[in-house]
Amino acid sequence: MSLRIGIREGLRTIIRSRSLFILSLLVAAISFYLLSIFALVTVNLYKMANLLDEKIEIIVFLEERADVQLLKNNINKINGVKEIIYVSAEAALKQLQEEVSETKEIVGIFKDNPLPASLRIKLEPGFRNVKGLEEISQKILLLKGVKDTIYGGELVEQLKRITHIMLFFDIGLLLIITLSVIFVIFQTIKLTIFAHATEIEIMKLVGATDAFITIPFIFQGLIQGILGGIIAYILLTITARIGSSFFAIPFFPRLYFFLGSVLFGIIFGIIGSSIALRRFLK
Amino acid sequence: MISFDKVTKIYQKNWIALDNVSFEIQKGEFLFITGPTGAGKSTILKLIYKEEEPSKGTIKVLDNNLHFLKRSKIPEFRRKIGVIFQDFKLLPDRTVEENVAFALEVTDTPPRDLKKKVFDILAYVRLSHKKFNYPYQLSGGEQQKIAIARALIRDPYILLADEPTGNLDLKSSQEILEIMLDINYKGTTVLMATHNQLLVRKTKKRIIHLQDGKIISDK
Repeated sequence: MSLRIGIREGLRTIIRSRSLFILSLLVAAISFYLLSIFALVTVNLYKMANLLDEKIEIIVFLEERADVQLLKNNINKINGVKEIIYVSAEAALKQLQEEVSETKEIVGIFKDNPLPASLRIKLEPGFRNVKGLEEISQKILLLKGVKDTIYGGELVEQLKRITHIMLFFDIGLLLIITLSVIFVIFQTIKLTIFAHATEIEIMKLVGATDAFITIPFIFQGLIQGILGGIIAYILLTITARIGSSFFAIPFFPRLYFFLGSVLFGIIFGIIGSSIALRRFLK
Repeated sequence: MISFDKVTKIYQKNWIALDNVSFEIQKGEFLFITGPTGAGKSTILKLIYKEEEPSKGTIKVLDNNLHFLKRSKIPEFRRKIGVIFQDFKLLPDRTVEENVAFALEVTDTPPRDLKKKVFDILAYVRLSHKKFNYPYQLSGGEQQKIAIARALIRDPYILLADEPTGNLDLKSSQEILEIMLDINYKGTTVLMATHNQLLVRKTKKRIIHLQDGKIISDK
């Protein structure tokens, strides 16, 4: 049977029972919206946790006569070291001046640059904790030409822990919401199909193939999914705009969220309709 | 054309709807199935168009042993059988014309042929003038005629009618019966389940009388 008739029948059902269609469309849109809000929060928390993790580093202050290249080579041999960045005394001073404008005058008091040169040590993921920081910095302190090391261990660790707990709860909530969204949408689709029970019965009676019966409903599910996804995305954008005046939303990949909600809608529409129809077609 | 060989149908909770029923219907025959409510009349019809499966026994329809008829072949099989019901089963949100055309649209009938066929069949049941009306705007008798038109539009070999006059007054019932006799006269095998004895006796056609799922008489 031709796809054309299937689509025409689908459009017909939408127009004929528009109130039901609009109702289930709204249910789908609001569900997707809720889901995408939580997805956005989750993505941001995850990014934040990663960012904090990246921030964990050891700063090694060097003695004036230290052999930078040799030190670099030796530190590189230590297990857990990922990257070493050399910051010269001049660069350190410049950075400080940029960060705090008032220091210009203070620095002027000194004849020479009071800041030492340093190495910033980035760590492998498994060593980004208090234990790893301590171990590695102990080893570095033994090397020749090292004056001192510092690291923001405890504080970073605490922050990390808090973000992880938040992330954990957030993902839990996201799962619960996803499940309820699946349930609600499936129920609405079932409602739509039950409303057409007589039609399906007659179709079967006059010898309609399963495909013929299915296509209009799948098409309807598809339209509903696409529209639902678009509405959800629009609502999310509005929410994000309002929200960003109260707190920062550092990460909002719009394209992914748009495609995500539409794709999610399509998959839901199609799978939901087919499952709900199956019972009629037995 | 249709044969039942020792057919038993047991629904859930051990309700025996048909008990060891055998009969044969020849091509072009007109058969009444009579009996009180719950005697198994509808079950026989449902078994013929494979809406239900028998618990025991063999059913053959149009050279198909229904037991071996694949699920995917059912639509094609049903297109050779027309069915009408006591409650008409018309789609309330479609016009008369659309209701009738519906049966043809499920297969790839070219739009032009479709228009012509619908026109012809509506003329046959004398309801051409109502083609833009909706079912609720029609009388019971007219609605049943539309249902007949829908069943006939595909030129079925068999017409099954489950209490087609159950909701109709005497005059409308008479009209419906006349249409069905005419259809039969043109060569279609007709099976009509009814408990309207008055209607049945006038026609002098074959009658299978059922009681508690058993055939009491066949003459």
